[in-house]
Amino acid sequence: MFVEFESMDDFERELRQAFERRPAPSGLKSKLMQRRRAQRSLHRAVLWQRLAASIALAAVVAGGFAWRKREERRKGEAARQQLFTALRITNRALNHMNTQLAAHRQAAQE
Amino acid sequence: MAHDWQPDFEQLVDEHQSMVFSLAWRMTGDHGLAEEIAQDAFLELDRNLGKIESAAHACFWLRRVTMSRSADALRRRKVRGMDLCVEIDESHGARAEEPSSPLGSRLEGLLTTLPEPQRAALVLRYQEDLTPEEIAATLGAPLATVKSHLQRGLKLLRAKAATHLKEYVRGV
Repeated sequence: MFVEFESMDDFERELRQAFERRPAPSGLKSKLMQRRRAQRSLHRAVLWQRLAASIALAAVVAGGFAWRKREERRKGEAARQQLFTALRITNRALNHMNTQLAAHRQAAQE
Repeated sequence: MAHDWQPDFEQLVDEHQSMVFSLAWRMTGDHGLAEEIAQDAFLELDRNLGKIESAAHACFWLRRVTMSRSADALRRRKVRGMDLCVEIDESHGARAEEPSSPLGSRLEGLLTTLPEPQRAALVLRYQEDLTPEEIAATLGAPLATVKSHLQRGLKLLRAKAATHLKEYVRGV
């Protein structure tokens, strides 16, 4: 028995026959679907984790922002109180000086 | 771009698993690796299903990804210093449900000894019956390069067949 490929056409014909598609292994689809399910649940878990992390991050940022605003308001209020105290002290001092000046003027007239 | 085609992943697997597995197997010559590559290609398709516009696009996409993943696997093997010229597993090549001719099995075995670009071009040409233009599009290579790989690959495979297969057939 002896095989010769008479021409390139013969050889190509033989190649076409030899290179026909083979059936995939019987377990390929079930293994694939299993991996797909595993990947999808992992993907969902990652999505939930990302969502939870985003919510936590947003809460921290919002909390920080609110705390900063409240702190600014508190400092503003403290500064206002300090100003009022200073004005009250100044007012009292001026009143005291006015009283003394009035007494001095009255004594000079007498 | 909007498209009406509604892909069904399971149906795509049913339709193309034989094509994807055969491509990967003929490229790598390794049954286990080919199965892994086939699964990876389908999982990648699943992740990109929204971008697929038609059944033909899905087929083209699967061919492209399978060839690229097979080439990557071969390169990884080369880096690890493993032998590239793996003999095709003949127990799979000659499955009971679809017996292959001994000559066909030998030709498949010889295919694995060709350089990877020539093997890719020949597999797409003779397994998938693609034109050189379609092969160039699938591999993302210039048409002239693909034509050259086809020509050289065919010549080399024929020369190898002429020496190896004579001995084989004589021995039967």
